[in-house]
Amino acid sequence: MRRLPVYFLLDTSGSMKGEPIVALNNALSGMVNTLRSDPQASETLWLSIITFDAVIKELVPLTDLQSFQLPEIICPESGPTFTGKALEFLLQKVKRDVKKGDSEQKGDWKPLLFLFTDGKPSDVQAYNRVIPMVKGINWGALVGCAAGHKADDERLKELTDTVVHLQTADSNTLKQFFLWVSDTIEQGNKSMGTKDQITLPPPPSEDIIVV
Amino acid sequence: MEEKTIENLIVLLSKKGINTSKVSKDSIQSFISEHNIAVEFDSIFKTQQNIMEKWQINSRIIHFNNLGIQMPNGNYGVEYNYSFDDNFLEINNLESFNILGLEKVGLKFNQTTMTIKGIPIDSGDFEFDILFKVIGQNDSIKDNIRIMNFVVNPDPKSLWKNLPSDREAVFWKEDDYSSFDKLGEKSIITCSKRGRSHQNVGSFRDDHEAYKYYKKTGWSIVSVSDGAGSAPLSREGSKMACNSVIEYFDNHLSFRDLIGFEDEIENFSETKDEERWNLAKTKAVKSIYKSITFTHNRIHAKAEEILKETPLVFEQKKYKYPAEYFHSTLIVSIFKKFKIGYVILTFSVGDCPIGIVNQDRSKAKLLNWLDVGEFGGGTRFVTQPEIFHSDRMGSRFSIQIESDFSFLFLMTDGIYDAKFEVEANLEKTDKWLEFISDLEGANETGVKIDFEENAEESLKSLSNWMDFWSKGNHDDRTLSIIY
Repeated sequence: MRRLPVYFLLDTSGSMKGEPIVALNNALSGMVNTLRSDPQASETLWLSIITFDAVIKELVPLTDLQSFQLPEIICPESGPTFTGKALEFLLQKVKRDVKKGDSEQKGDWKPLLFLFTDGKPSDVQAYNRVIPMVKGINWGALVGCAAGHKADDERLKELTDTVVHLQTADSNTLKQFFLWVSDTIEQGNKSMGTKDQITLPPPPSEDIIVV
Repeated sequence: MEEKTIENLIVLLSKKGINTSKVSKDSIQSFISEHNIAVEFDSIFKTQQNIMEKWQINSRIIHFNNLGIQMPNGNYGVEYNYSFDDNFLEINNLESFNILGLEKVGLKFNQTTMTIKGIPIDSGDFEFDILFKVIGQNDSIKDNIRIMNFVVNPDPKSLWKNLPSDREAVFWKEDDYSSFDKLGEKSIITCSKRGRSHQNVGSFRDDHEAYKYYKKTGWSIVSVSDGAGSAPLSREGSKMACNSVIEYFDNHLSFRDLIGFEDEIENFSETKDEERWNLAKTKAVKSIYKSITFTHNRIHAKAEEILKETPLVFEQKKYKYPAEYFHSTLIVSIFKKFKIGYVILTFSVGDCPIGIVNQDRSKAKLLNWLDVGEFGGGTRFVTQPEIFHSDRMGSRFSIQIESDFSFLFLMTDGIYDAKFEVEANLEKTDKWLEFISDLEGANETGVKIDFEENAEESLKSLSNWMDFWSKGNHDDRTLSIIY
């Protein structure tokens, strides 16, 4: 069976402390519930959650939705945002986890990546170095999400053409964003040209802008 | 005992800032006995011990409240059986442990075996109360309560909706199609069904199929196409692909080409002259090649035309050329019975297999290769100009002679993904024989196609068979069987 591997790279640096992290937890939980009731996702979707601040943590390795359990995402009081290191870590995981098709093995659907951040990379050098390698993966979709006014859209645009800007990281906006993510995920298992990417659904509200 | 009390008193006083170094031992001793100090110290130590015990109990409760209890998720209607580790109570310093309310989802917790068992009768996110006591808490105290989350996945089969497709929409296509016909001495039974993934959202069947028998010349042509899920109008693309290739043979002189090629075949049958055979091959490939360029150009022209007439239709996604909206794969098989046997020509682009099984069902063969990308769903389409410029174009055509055959199959990936899974299996005779047994009843639901039966019965059974359940495989399904 073809799996649809979906990676979440979530910024848990100090600035997420308080309302944003609570909102993020709720929004993720809402998204997972929505996906559980989607028949296609319930059979094919595999999720992984990786968080990054000063340390990179694989909170949930790539797991099928039926077995998936959402952990509580927590963040430290303060500290840097190692986006570059997180992407390096992700690359290793993707290379190891995602099955490519050949005559003996069914290839997975193209993997999807959602990178969520409310700031900018502290490790700019590592970030710049890893960008071409991340781009080299044949993603079904690579969505950068910049939440709040401190998030750096431009840095994300160096990584991907699809950058979504959330005006605020409040509960309502995050909820809508992650429902949009689940819509996007539901687009992920369709036949397409070998180099194509999936078509993204329109953004759900004025607070969410595709830049 | 006395010495210990003296020591305790000195420590206590010194902690309070009183220096006893100059006080005589006698006066300390008499103070102790006069005021019953030994008993007082006993009482202090008991109180201290009491506080310590309470602290420990409190820590154990906090530890257990914070402990992530991760039991595997349940699945609706599927037996659940989970046992906590043998040393679960010991490790967590628990005196007692119970889970309440599991009955409402059809589960039961056995305190003796520390096992949760049952068949979930409800799905969703649930919270249950865990009652527990830690070591040191006595029986008269009320249980501590914490919450435990538990997920029961719904039955995937129950989640699929079946929404009708919009009959008013441009290029509407009927959801299911099936037909039976004669192709000379052979019969063809075809069924094409809208996949569950399309039923679920009310979208259209993207697959298509067509066939024709030319009585005059004895040639038959069968085509099957799978419209790309990511191309908005591929339902029409697949239809155009299947029909155009037939239209070409209808309206163009190509059958004369094929007849020219027939002479070579007849000659080869008589003389076994390899050169004649090679000439036949070249002529045949040339002829089919023309039909494929015709098909490609036809779809491109039609797409341009539609873009001119109704540009709005092309606003769903960006494109380099409008035919992208019609991206479709295509497999074609053209065959005729000669003295020497059946001559079978094929063309293929995309990930749909053409397979043939010999008369006594002892050998099966895959007649084409599949365009399978490194990732699922990645393939190539007859609508893509680049296929014509590739070195591999020549290998998309094949020609063979079979004395006879029991089955010739053309199918889309909706069938192949579920029944063969990977390309390598299409090369294996036993997998094809398994597939035939499956069609003839060796399957979960026991649906059986009797190819000897009358057309109506065979069609009905094939249509039922096509509804087989296969986890994660819910694409459109199209199967043409020539037998």
